[in-house]
Amino acid sequence: MAWFPATMAVLFLFGQTVCDLYLPTITASLVNKGILQQNFAYIMKIGWRMLFVAGLGLMAATVNVFLASRQSMKIGAQLRSKLYAKVLNFAGQEMTQFGTSTLITRTTNDVVQVQTVMFQVLRQMLRSPMILVTACVLAYIQAPRLTVIYLITLPILTVLCLLVLHYATPLFHSIQGKTDRINQIFREGLTGVRVSRAFNQENHEQKRFDNVNRDYTQTGVKAYSLVACLYPAMTLVLSLTDVGIIMYGGQMIAVKTLNVGDLIAFITYTTQILTSFMRLSRMFVSLPRASASAKRINDILETPSSVKYELTPPAKSAVTENTKRPNTQLKQVPAVEFRHVSFRYPGAERLALDDISFTADRDSTIAVIGGTGAGKSTLIDLLAHLYEPAAGQILVEGRPVNSIPANQLHRYLTVAQQKTVLFSGTVRSNLQKAKADASDEEMWHALDVAQASKFVQAAGGLDAKVQQGGHNFSGGQRQRLAIARTLVADADIYVFDDTFSALDFQTDANLRLALAEDPQMKGKLVVIVAQRVATVLNADQILVLDNGKLVGRGTHDELAQNNRTYQQIMASQLKQGGGSHA
Amino acid sequence: MHNGFAPHLRQRSKAEQAQNFWGTTWRLLRYLKPWHWLLFFSIIFAIASVIFSVSAPKILGEATTTIYAGVKKGRAMGITMSRWPIDFHKVGHYAIVVLILYGCSAIFNLLQQLLTTQLAQKVVYTLRRDLKQKMRQLPVSFYDNHDHGDIMSRMVNDMDNVSATLQQGLIQIVTSAFTFIGVLFLMLTISLRLTLVALITIPIGIVIVGVISPKAQRLFGKQQATLGTINNQVEETYTGQQVVKLFGDEKREQDSFEKKNQQYFNAAWKAQFFSILVFPSMNFVRNLGFLMVAVVGSFLVAQGQLAIGAVQAILQYQEQFSRPITQLANLANVFQQTIASSERIFAILDEPEMTTDQPVKDEQPQAAAPIISFKDVKFSYQPDQPLIDHFNLDVAPRQTIAIVGPTGAGKSTLINLLERFYDVNAGKIYLHGVNIQDMTRQELRSHFAIVPQETWLFHGTIMDNISFGRMNATKDEVYRAAQLAHADHFIRTLPDGYQTVLGEGSTEISIGQRQLLTIARAFVANPEILILDEATSSVDTRTESLIQQAMNDLQANRTTFIVAHRLSTVQNADKIIVLNHGHIVETGSHAALMAKNGFYAKLYNSQFRHALR
Repeated sequence: MAWFPATMAVLFLFGQTVCDLYLPTITASLVNKGILQQNFAYIMKIGWRMLFVAGLGLMAATVNVFLASRQSMKIGAQLRSKLYAKVLNFAGQEMTQFGTSTLITRTTNDVVQVQTVMFQVLRQMLRSPMILVTACVLAYIQAPRLTVIYLITLPILTVLCLLVLHYATPLFHSIQGKTDRINQIFREGLTGVRVSRAFNQENHEQKRFDNVNRDYTQTGVKAYSLVACLYPAMTLVLSLTDVGIIMYGGQMIAVKTLNVGDLIAFITYTTQILTSFMRLSRMFVSLPRASASAKRINDILETPSSVKYELTPPAKSAVTENTKRPNTQLKQVPAVEFRHVSFRYPGAERLALDDISFTADRDSTIAVIGGTGAGKSTLIDLLAHLYEPAAGQILVEGRPVNSIPANQLHRYLTVAQQKTVLFSGTVRSNLQKAKADASDEEMWHALDVAQASKFVQAAGGLDAKVQQGGHNFSGGQRQRLAIARTLVADADIYVFDDTFSALDFQTDANLRLALAEDPQMKGKLVVIVAQRVATVLNADQILVLDNGKLVGRGTHDELAQNNRTYQQIMASQLKQGGGSHA
Repeated sequence: MHNGFAPHLRQRSKAEQAQNFWGTTWRLLRYLKPWHWLLFFSIIFAIASVIFSVSAPKILGEATTTIYAGVKKGRAMGITMSRWPIDFHKVGHYAIVVLILYGCSAIFNLLQQLLTTQLAQKVVYTLRRDLKQKMRQLPVSFYDNHDHGDIMSRMVNDMDNVSATLQQGLIQIVTSAFTFIGVLFLMLTISLRLTLVALITIPIGIVIVGVISPKAQRLFGKQQATLGTINNQVEETYTGQQVVKLFGDEKREQDSFEKKNQQYFNAAWKAQFFSILVFPSMNFVRNLGFLMVAVVGSFLVAQGQLAIGAVQAILQYQEQFSRPITQLANLANVFQQTIASSERIFAILDEPEMTTDQPVKDEQPQAAAPIISFKDVKFSYQPDQPLIDHFNLDVAPRQTIAIVGPTGAGKSTLINLLERFYDVNAGKIYLHGVNIQDMTRQELRSHFAIVPQETWLFHGTIMDNISFGRMNATKDEVYRAAQLAHADHFIRTLPDGYQTVLGEGSTEISIGQRQLLTIARAFVANPEILILDEATSSVDTRTESLIQQAMNDLQANRTTFIVAHRLSTVQNADKIIVLNHGHIVETGSHAALMAKNGFYAKLYNSQFRHALR
């Protein structure tokens, strides 16, 4: 936070406060000298002085509002930037640790909360204590002995505020949590309407919602009722102050140790103090929310990335220069190598990957096959350095993957994921995410191979609109667009993580044929994760995973003969027997 | 569940302007009706509190006047006195009255706030409940055609607006209005002239507010618009964060974000500045009034035309007097937004509901009839995009029917129709010979269990999620179902087992495992008819064959529909229905269809045509 503008804002606030409070002070001398001595000229003079002070106060206030507005919004903007950058750089672990929806809420709503409170602090919240202190000082200057009254009642006032704050804060924290819960259930009701209705469970859903709704209401009533006590209590304290001033001040006037004007000024101060404290109490509601928001934001900013980088240039620097040159080297560095890689998801008992070792060369196709939860996608996630392995090393083109900075890995490796994600914009903008300077020809070529040209053409060509999530296209079409996107990228390793499952057989077959015959794919490593044996039949190397372990490596023929797991998979798919044609 | 064919219609959220201000206001007030006594007494107490608190300064002024009178008297007496003759008896009397007035004001204020809190919270509780209940009555087409983000925004943001206003704003109107009236009245009783002096500030204030407020409103609209673009980008890129990373796109996204952030900053600080500027401006006007009253009042007092306590009182009132004006102006804005929010909430409450169930009592299930029968069914989501036409199908009990076809052929649609998520445009569907529209939806659905295309699990334990399949499912039934779905094993390896809470953060469960849980749910339901909608596409074929074994056991008295495009899943079906563009192109068993060498045979054979290099 920029301290200078903030301090200036506070200073100007102080200036405004002094001006505001100076008016009653001048009133005192107005009464003492002007009225009592019937000095009309003096009254006029004081009048002008008051006007001047009021104008000064306005200017000070304007500057304060200006600075406060800019500062608070700037803080908001900075927080947003930081959060955005942080989240974009999160590894897979952090993303799943928080969950997308809370990350979104924190970046949007929580920042606004903090922003708002920041403004209130710079503008209002400091004002009340300022008024308090300034009023006391001015009062003391005016009539030291009468100030005693303030010294009694004002601490009581402060204690009252703090007490309420102390009890109200946890209640408002709790309200925040319950709001989240209500909204979550409601959202689930939106996405799960078919399932709820199909199982005739809508009563159950309603009850779940009602319980939380009721709980929230009860807490809300408690919280607001508590805060409601503040104003009446303060009113009482201040009325006692006024009475004290009148009685005690009156006595002082009687013995000529005080002037009537001073009395009037004191009463006016009291009113000011009450008003400012009232403003303060209204912020109790927003303070806990803001502090909860601040904490949630901090949680993100302080989460260390689980993915480690060791960015010293590798010893074997020869490799990076040679990625594009035809291979005339004696020692061919494998495109991908896993050395005893193990991985466990946070909090899980068993390893998701257990001691995986293999190499894959350029200009080949490698397939990964296995059952649900076998670890196929995990393997890809580790390769893409979205997670950090617990043990072992992963090398890409001979370089440890953690020596490649995050924003450069995509030059080596491009992945089409199991679950398609498209962005709002156009087909062109989506494809360009893989390669910013892709030409139209390159994009059409990729679309052709991905069997997507026809429907893209029908939708309006490269400039066809893509809505949020790509939902204006069917599931199969989205899958094909994602595949096209992967193909547009200019990398050495192409990974397809079970991307053909949403396609019907005809399209699937055509796509694979096009991919096989695509000249651009020559010399690359293609990694296919699949479930159908048919898809992987002709791969140069098939990795068979089972429960996180690598239980087989080899060609289809080798595995069909020797590997039990592979045989089981085959059996479940090729029921007809003897149906495998190359 | 987004239908890939129906273009995703979005309800654009309107700007902050309410369409029908008074109509909606009236409707919102009607929500307060059940608690009209609470409201009534809130208002009464608010008024009482105001009356007491505004009276106090006047009395206090009298006390000061009494003190001053004593001083003046002493001076007039000429002789030098050690004490001024102040009538402390009278002063004390006034002091006690002041205390009582403030005390009463405090008590009434407390009571009023307590009542208002009850009122506000209860009304919002009811609104929320009504909204949720309404969601139950809305047809599935509503869910498919509306942006979930928009609906959530109404539930969250708009509800918040209404809640905050009811809690604080509602009574403020009353208190502000009455404070203004009360203060004005009392000021007039004290001194007409000084009151007029103080009133000069009103037109000045109005002009200032009239100039600044609209400008602030415009800027605020801009602020919200830019915030919307920021939020959209955040939502998209966070959801697709992995893709952004995989393509190394972080820097570009950040740059684009920075631009939007900057735009928001520019709009926001200005909006904030102008909207808040009203307050110091009004403060200045108030100070202006203050000094005018002080000066004029001083003159009057010096000339003996006014009591000094009167000046003190008017000065105090002056403080209390201009604030309501600003508050009311601010409230006008807040109310605009609140009514706009209420309108958006009411819009959903006004949506047309599903057709009510009209069960025909005397319809008896016919034992001889096929269990499911489609007769000349016609349906489409959009009238100009025909989907299913002249569709006929008879399903005998305990048959396994597989429905295959390319994407977009209408396979999921048949399920939508069977479960009456959508109703047919023409034709009829029969269950046990009874038209499904002649029974309640609940009755209809109790015959089915569904494993849908997209896995849906709610934030609750695995046990809760599985037992969702049937209302009174026992723990043992859940375990058994999980075993049948081959989920039991992996569940037990989790740290909390069946008590594991599912939510966004569960990484131990893969997509396939989540699917197994939904399959377990269907097992628990133990239905007459099982519907699997592309259920097994994320489960590998080896596990699926194990499930099918278990299913064979369960299929003793059970009809099954399998909707899939993976031909290995349908090989054992009794009947295969091949759909293309909403029409049945072929039916028969696998062997028969292969022999035919038609559309189906082509689909099947392409499975082996070209594996990748």
